[in-house]
Amino acid sequence: MTGNPNSIKHNCDHYADHRLDNLHQRKYEKDADICIVGAGAAGGVLTDELSRAGFRVVTIEAGPFWDPQSDFASDELSMQSLAWNDTRLVAGKDPLTMGHNNSGRGVGGGTVHFTGVFLRFHESDFQVKTQDGLAADWPITYQDLAPYYDKIEKDIAVSGPKIFPWGSFHGPYPYPEREPISANSEVFRRGCEKLGIRSVVAPLAILSAPFAGRPPCINRGFCNQGCLPNAKFSTLIHHIPRAIAHGAEILSDCMVTHLNLDKTGALKSVTFVHDGKEYEQKAKAFILANYCIETPRLLLSSACPQFPDGLANSSGMVGKNLMTHTGHDVYCKFRDEIRLYKGTPVLATSQDFYETEPSRGFIRGYTLNAHGTRPVGLAKKLVTENNIWGKELYEIMRDFNFYAQITIVGEVLPDPGNSVTLSDEKDEYGLPRAVVTFSYGENDQKLVAHGVKKSQEILEAVGGEPAFVIPDTGHLMGTCPMGKDPTASVVDEFCRSHDIPNLYICSASVFVTSGGANPTETVMAIAARTADYIISEASK
Amino acid sequence: MSLQKTRYPFYDVLQEKSHWDEHTREIVLKRLGPFTKYEFLNNYEVEILYAIAKLVVNEERQEILEYLVHQLDKNLASPIGENQRKVGVPEQKKLIRQGLLALNQGVRQQYGVNYVELGSPQQLAFLNDLQKGKATLSEEWQKFPQQDFFKKLAADLISAYYSHPVVWSEIGYGGPAYPRGYVRVEKGLTDPWEAKRDDRES
Ligand SMILES: Cc1cc2nc3c(=O)[nH]c(=O)nc-3n(C[C@H](O)[C@H](O)[C@H](O)COP(=O)(O)OP(=O)(O)OC[C@H]3O[C@@H](n4cnc5c(N)ncnc54)[C@H](O)[C@@H]3O)c2cc1C
Ligand code: SF4
Repeated sequence: MTGNPNSIKHNCDHYADHRLDNLHQRKYEKDADICIVGAGAAGGVLTDELSRAGFRVVTIEAGPFWDPQSDFASDELSMQSLAWNDTRLVAGKDPLTMGHNNSGRGVGGGTVHFTGVFLRFHESDFQVKTQDGLAADWPITYQDLAPYYDKIEKDIAVSGPKIFPWGSFHGPYPYPEREPISANSEVFRRGCEKLGIRSVVAPLAILSAPFAGRPPCINRGFCNQGCLPNAKFSTLIHHIPRAIAHGAEILSDCMVTHLNLDKTGALKSVTFVHDGKEYEQKAKAFILANYCIETPRLLLSSACPQFPDGLANSSGMVGKNLMTHTGHDVYCKFRDEIRLYKGTPVLATSQDFYETEPSRGFIRGYTLNAHGTRPVGLAKKLVTENNIWGKELYEIMRDFNFYAQITIVGEVLPDPGNSVTLSDEKDEYGLPRAVVTFSYGENDQKLVAHGVKKSQEILEAVGGEPAFVIPDTGHLMGTCPMGKDPTASVVDEFCRSHDIPNLYICSASVFVTSGGANPTETVMAIAARTADYIISEASK
Repeated sequence: MSLQKTRYPFYDVLQEKSHWDEHTREIVLKRLGPFTKYEFLNNYEVEILYAIAKLVVNEERQEILEYLVHQLDKNLASPIGENQRKVGVPEQKKLIRQGLLALNQGVRQQYGVNYVELGSPQQLAFLNDLQKGKATLSEEWQKFPQQDFFKKLAADLISAYYSHPVVWSEIGYGGPAYPRGYVRVEKGLTDPWEAKRDDRES
């Protein structure tokens, strides 16, 4: 059982004027047009766009329909509950930390506890093969997503600088940049300045002024524990309520466990479990928006005589090319207090090392984020990643307020050996647990070394002393890549499965490469483009 | 008694509790006890865990260690998943239970006494060996993943420790911050209720 540990009882069926604690009066039990699995970043956008266009949309979400006021707390330990806590088996040379580190669960998905850094990818991100001869090109270009980036930034009132110096979009952002910035972001920017590195106040999906009845950020710094004042965007508070008003139905605390095909090989329904009982949802089309581990797990475990290797998997690519970002945390110690707990965690960014620079000896690059932290997050990583505990740990933690941190969001190249497969061990639904295998490649490691050195130089330039580097990771991407070639990819450029015409897969799992920037704006732009495609196909 | 020398001797984050939202206040104050009965751990395990926790977090105050062991018990009794587990490593309930047995048997074999009867330096040395995967365990535990055991246990104890409001005060962490938030976030500025350094200290 994976229920909410606070054991608050949530309603499970939500549609206009209805909040029900049972599934006896489902709105679209028999006549849904579209069934979406997962109400996260992509699922939220899809539910909103498609219901607005008049489709009968039902979105099924494994976790609760959170109420920020009663479910969230200003507390690290208890807010682990926002994560996908189910056990995944991990393997490889650099086994990933799952749970709160990269996976959300509940309406809003990862956007509920994400940090809100909201960046576009660059043109080069879509053409790594053409430009650098490695990995693969996306079937789409930056230009295909540009109008959707514009639209999403405006829709959620992204705050950011007037001028953004990197990539193709140079600002201004819809809402003014955040000010003041935290001490940690201040030392980062001053260090950059000394070394001639450009930096900006980070573009954020966090309000700098009131918008849509929501207040601006109050700098409490708990973005990774869920935003209590609703200053940070999430699809929980933004897209989903609007979708419900357009007519959508949300089934929460409902875990999709199986995909059922009809005789023609089309998807007929999904099976889901609520409170230990099985239900079925039929629809004309389905969209799997349940992220990089659960999507391949569901496709592979729904294997049937017709598709013994799993659904939508004629290419053999389902579960392959799992990517993360190198999320190495670089800490330096200062004589004065920095107080990493204060203010929005990320308030300053640099992408001066984003593009390939042949002299560095590796391809692609990274974003640097000045990054706040809190005691549990730091102390736990120090023991699990750096083997620091006991007296030594206490001595570091006693000086918690004197550290500054920069986090590297570095590109990780796709590698088919990094994957999601099925284990023999079963979970409480009787489904095989996912085995998540990950090892860094040589290019990744060189990139990390470069990023660590640069980060230390930046903080040293303003009096910091390198203290420790925590080999962290962040974000997940890939496992159902999009592509033109059906033998080498799982979905087409509109996220439609090559094999099953009424099945779409739309989440961070369709990424072809990881880019060197926080991924969610790109996830949402892809979702908005897929929604447009579905709407235009239906009107043909 | 506290082993710690804080930079913020005059700060008590609990003085601010009336400014916290009710849900958070309830969660944090529970950490001060009283605690309910153990659900998963038995007395023998609790006793060893006190001794381990003391060294893992460098702390002697019983009331804090008590919270740590209770929090671990809560995690182990809970049906919630463990996020990730390395292929080949036993499930956390089994890992911790077997690990405590393996540790005690290893100590008995090496020193002829139980772990809790050892002096602190030997206890510490044994934990250090476990963390490095070099502890001498008895025959039946040769294949036991001692490093994974240590890491899991230490991570849980340490997470609980740095969730304790008394520890927050000592490290000068502001704790819960809703609905108040922070007004003065720039370098060198603090809100009036935040921890202030002891001026006499360099
Ligand atoms: C701590 C943290 C910080 C982050 N910070 C940033 C940041 O600053 N900037 C940024 O760009 N990105 C950030 N991210 C990443 C961001 O959260 C993800 O990129 C984004 O949420 C991915 O969107 P998605 O739609 O692909 O999946 P998700 O948002 O994860 O949504 C998937 C949903 O599917 C549900 N689901 C899964 N399986 C099933 C099933 N079988 N049945 C029903 N429902 C199911 C899940 O419960 C979940 O709600 C952060 C993530 C974390 C964890
Ligand atoms: S720092 Fe701002 S956006 Fe983040 S949780 Fe606090 S109020 Fe919300």
